[in-house]
Amino acid sequence: MPSYTKTLKQDIALGRKNYFYLTLVMAITDFKVKYDNSVLGYLWSLLKPLLMFGTLYLVFSVFVRWEMENYKLYLLLGIILWNFFSEVTLNSMVLLEGKSMILKKVFFPRWIIVIASSLTSVMTLFLNMCVFFIFFSFSGISLHVKSLFLIICLMELYFLAVGWAFCLCALFPKFRDIHHIWEVFVQLGFWATPIIYPISIVHAKYHKFIFLNPIARIIQASREVIIGADTNFLVLSNHIYLVFVSVGLFFVGLSFYNRMSKSFAEDL
Amino acid sequence: MITLENVNKVFLLPHERKATLRQRFVSLSRKNIYEKLYALREVNLKVDKGEFLGIIGKNGSGKSTLLKLIAKVLEPTSGKIIVRGNVAPFLELGVGFQGDLTVKDNIFLYGALLGMSRREIADKYDWIIDFARLERFVDAKLKNLSSGMQVRLGFSITVAIESPILLVDEVLAVGDIDFQQKCYGSFGGFKKDGRTIVFVSHDLNAVEQFCDRVVLLENGEIKSQGGTGKVVDEYWKSIKST
Repeated sequence: MPSYTKTLKQDIALGRKNYFYLTLVMAITDFKVKYDNSVLGYLWSLLKPLLMFGTLYLVFSVFVRWEMENYKLYLLLGIILWNFFSEVTLNSMVLLEGKSMILKKVFFPRWIIVIASSLTSVMTLFLNMCVFFIFFSFSGISLHVKSLFLIICLMELYFLAVGWAFCLCALFPKFRDIHHIWEVFVQLGFWATPIIYPISIVHAKYHKFIFLNPIARIIQASREVIIGADTNFLVLSNHIYLVFVSVGLFFVGLSFYNRMSKSFAEDL
Repeated sequence: MITLENVNKVFLLPHERKATLRQRFVSLSRKNIYEKLYALREVNLKVDKGEFLGIIGKNGSGKSTLLKLIAKVLEPTSGKIIVRGNVAPFLELGVGFQGDLTVKDNIFLYGALLGMSRREIADKYDWIIDFARLERFVDAKLKNLSSGMQVRLGFSITVAIESPILLVDEVLAVGDIDFQQKCYGSFGGFKKDGRTIVFVSHDLNAVEQFCDRVVLLENGEIKSQGGTGKVVDEYWKSIKST
């Protein structure tokens, strides 16, 4: 039996079934504390990607000109989704370190920290998507029924990001370097993924390398669902691959994390 | 209720701690030198339901490690620990508090951390505020409260939990005398409710007053256990003889 089910059963046997509420409270607290003492408060979670979008849009739409329809939306959606991925993976480690005092004193299943941190990012993602759809409504494109597939894409992205966050957090207390290493990889990944450039400018022989990265596939699929006319990434086989990878990574990450988290109180 | 069988807890004391990858790589060739520190050695202990157990011993004798093992914060190196029932840890009061949030938010956060549901906390909310005597400070930020007030709040929330097992680790020394009296008063209540309490303290008066049975730890081993008077006397003797 994989260890995650075992610990969950033990937890329930202990009579503590309020983990859902704890996760929620932790996420809300995290969100509140993050924007406390700042004048603009929650607006920052919107302003950050918008400022990034503004800068990149200026450079790549005015100075360098990609020949591309709806480049604005293409870029904005790419940035939002990538930011979500990088936020989930990086913040979970920050939160884990921040909670080290609690970990040493109170028992609760350690996965709550990672899930709570991811929920904070989900709130940010939700706000960002609202902004995206405001831009979208000015663009004159209309939504199709197929746009509902966006939800599936976002779910794939969520499981992938959280699964990876579990893996990183499992190693983090023993190897603090992993935070710095991953920061560099997030930067690399940003440029290795077709976020600011259209995939058409990359030579076709490199495509298969770019799309080894499941994030690139998810981002492309999300764009096709909402903006594009292409359907290369909407094919079923692609999503079978994505669901398999993301859900697989989630459970592998969770059980790895659960195993490693037993010594967190000593390592952190 | 709580059973410990042959429990060992070993901490490895590295003489050269390797926290980063580089340090690990550099010293791969060299052998790691660890010293084994037995925080607990072959501990067998049984605490029955409704029992008030005291644990005494000098600093570093393993008292806190024992409580942390029961609270499941630490994993034993070997041996078995069985705990039946929800555990409310008083290991350190207010450890999950967020200074930037209000007292009210902190009650919900800390309560959730200790395993309460939203409804339970809401039901107990007025009682907690009243017990901590913080009516005027409900909407103040926690960081602006004095440390004594924070401890009172932490204690009140923990007391409000209806868990059958309480672990108390030398936490009452911080409050003022009034509050200490109140805390000791609530201990009497716990006893009446039939809750199981494991109480770690250097305050031998309190131990003698409340505990049914006392365990004396020395260097991670149970040196003696039994009736309160007998074990406390033995502890006094061991202090005097050294």
